[in-house]
Amino acid sequence: MWLSMAIVVVLVVSVVWTVFSKGAKAMSWEMVSKLPGGGFYIGKEGGFLNAIVGSLMIVGASTVLGLLVSIPVVLFLNVYLHKESRLAYVVRLAFDVLFGVPSIVYGAFGFTLMIWFGLRTSLLGGIIVITLLIIPIFVRTMDEASRNFPRGILDACLSLGATRWETLKVVVRQIAPGIATATLLSVGRAIGDAASVMFTAGYTDSIPTSLSQPAATLPLAVFFQLSSPIPEVVDRAYAAALVLTIIVLLISIAGRFITSHFSRHKV
Amino acid sequence: MIETKKLNVYMGENHILKDIDLQFPERQITCIIGPSGCGKSTLLRTLNRLIDSTEGVRLEGQVLVDGTDIISSGAEITELRRRIGLVSQRPCPLPMSIFDNVAYGCRINRMFKKRRELVYHVRQSLRAVGIMDEIKGRMRSPAARLSIGQQQRLCLARSLAVQPDYILADEATSALDPISSKKVEDLFVSLKDKYSIIMVTHTLRQALRIADNVVFMYLGEIIETGPAAEVFNNPQNELTQKYLSGAFS
Amino acid sequence: MNIRILKDRTARGIMLVLTLLSIVMVAAIAIGLYLKSKPVLESESLWTLLFSSEWKPLKGRFGFLPFLMGTVWVTLLSITIALPISLLTAVFLTEYARPIIKKFVFPVLDILAALPSVIYGVWGVLVIVPWISKSVAPHFVDFSTGYTVLAAGIVLSVMVVPLLVSLFIEVFSSVPVELREASLSLGATRWQTALRVVMRKSLAGILASSVLAVSRAMGETIAVLMVCGCVVGMPHGLLDACYPIPALIANNYGEMLSIPLYESALMFAALMLFAVVLIFNLVSRVVLYRIEKQNE
Repeated sequence: MWLSMAIVVVLVVSVVWTVFSKGAKAMSWEMVSKLPGGGFYIGKEGGFLNAIVGSLMIVGASTVLGLLVSIPVVLFLNVYLHKESRLAYVVRLAFDVLFGVPSIVYGAFGFTLMIWFGLRTSLLGGIIVITLLIIPIFVRTMDEASRNFPRGILDACLSLGATRWETLKVVVRQIAPGIATATLLSVGRAIGDAASVMFTAGYTDSIPTSLSQPAATLPLAVFFQLSSPIPEVVDRAYAAALVLTIIVLLISIAGRFITSHFSRHKV
Repeated sequence: MIETKKLNVYMGENHILKDIDLQFPERQITCIIGPSGCGKSTLLRTLNRLIDSTEGVRLEGQVLVDGTDIISSGAEITELRRRIGLVSQRPCPLPMSIFDNVAYGCRINRMFKKRRELVYHVRQSLRAVGIMDEIKGRMRSPAARLSIGQQQRLCLARSLAVQPDYILADEATSALDPISSKKVEDLFVSLKDKYSIIMVTHTLRQALRIADNVVFMYLGEIIETGPAAEVFNNPQNELTQKYLSGAFS
Repeated sequence: MNIRILKDRTARGIMLVLTLLSIVMVAAIAIGLYLKSKPVLESESLWTLLFSSEWKPLKGRFGFLPFLMGTVWVTLLSITIALPISLLTAVFLTEYARPIIKKFVFPVLDILAALPSVIYGVWGVLVIVPWISKSVAPHFVDFSTGYTVLAAGIVLSVMVVPLLVSLFIEVFSSVPVELREASLSLGATRWQTALRVVMRKSLAGILASSVLAVSRAMGETIAVLMVCGCVVGMPHGLLDACYPIPALIANNYGEMLSIPLYESALMFAALMLFAVVLIFNLVSRVVLYRIEKQNE
């Protein structure tokens, strides 16, 4: 048993160490502040600013969109529907399935959708697919947080003459830490997902200036540049991997922090 | 006045309340007693239609609040609930500050235009439950930090703040320590010249101490009802006699 | 009608629509993929698609067997590695570990779960692949690049461990404490209790969780793509290269749109993936829900 634990710990250390040792060597200010010069696959100059900005754009937009869709759904499931409701059961099951759908399938499906609407690989396409990808994560995490929600609070609000809509403000306050963790979890997942943005957002050397232009992303920056024969380009991949890992680690730490410190009014 | 006429409540296959005909007199305390599982809480939750949020419930008959049937008229349910306060078994402070807890109901019902009036009203309500001195200067701190007895009185203040006519209490003292319990109990007695109070209680002694009227329920039926003195001193029904003598509980 | 109640009704309506959309979404993916894969389904029988190993896209021949086998090999290998590790870890964490150890291990698992798959891919390429090529393979075959079923299986198993552990912990902690105490008070050791009582009681949950992990492993793309070798052909052993379905889609989609039937074939691949994941998820979730309900 100790052995299995040790294996797990050693694996984590090994993965993180690999990324950090390779990435630290390749890391420089130029990497994160410049666009790649002479093409991302063959050019030796520059960094991967395009991927950082592209990732932030996609993740930021889809997080906002995802929250807009999933908060109402979670509230509906937990406040408007009965606990034993048939509909709630089916919806939860549907989200579990959507949660399990591989991101490559989302990518393929998203791409068909885009062709349907006459879109090319673009920032917008990436945003749409990532939004679809993270909504199930949002819903499941927040739903988990709201399920322990004390029913008495709801009864108390209702008995004061509140409509269900008016009780929502209270509910949102109570599950605020849940929403925050869900957001972090989704951001972490969204920023690291490569398979779904591969066909939908594409890849490019520049920073997109409109929704219809393709956008580079960090995971794809790692993936594409790693296979390049030119050492400078491979270094860029290592550095990008390092940046990605640091972002994800920070998010994971922030998540732990929030769950323990974000609950001043919680009952 | 609240009264029920031929009220029947079903939950799925189960017949929870059977032909309940009751009148709850105004400005008095009516205690509903009976062994656990007899439908006391269900009855209480039917009176303000909180029962709606339970899955698979079917209601028949009438519940009249000041002459209006609240079972057939679905629309004005929020106004109805404002007029009927609820104090539950465990105190349920909302996840906000003490002040906001009490102000919550006033705000959603848009009772005051000026903030000054609201503040005054909140203080009045807190004073009415005798908790003002204990929480002075802590109005902005989370309600969840109060002791459980204080929380229960806060919840009562919150109900009073929306100016109800009736107060329903579901074993409001059962989660409290004896001293807090006594305080809350006394509070109910002092409130009865302004409000009509209906309370479910598990402890016969409490009913004995504070009830003006008593309703004894068993397996979803009303067995006996009447002024407290009569029911306790001279129970007509055999079941009531047995229950009062402690043969079952 | 009162404006407050009107607001409530409107909000309710909007929320209901958004909620129902989630169910529609599942159907939409299925239908969309099916419509797209129709051409290839019409040109070849389902049997040939699934069980022929002839893969010649330019001639319009699509036999998915090599890719199916690649997926099966890699997935089974990864579960075989991950299952004992996660089972023991979960037992340790729920039955033995002191709080201080939990405090250390949970964040570690969190990190493992949070790392993006492309990072595992990098790790696989830099650590596992050379290791296989230099240290493992020479004992068995003359030469291997290291990009093999084994590499993909190892990388994938590391990725499903955190998922499995967290699912197992949930399942184990739903076993009532009284049951454990009863067993312990009969003189059983903690290990006997864990094995005969906790694990036995959670058997359905363990199975369901494993199925869930299988479906997750099956769809994993980038990390596998980076270490599996991507050679079309049937894998015959752990040290052969392979080409699982997700890797196939990722590598060829986008580029192959000029050949309509090829695109359709890839969509069919995505549909297969979706169907398997859908079935696995439904079954295991329903089982897990049941367990949760039993213990409420």
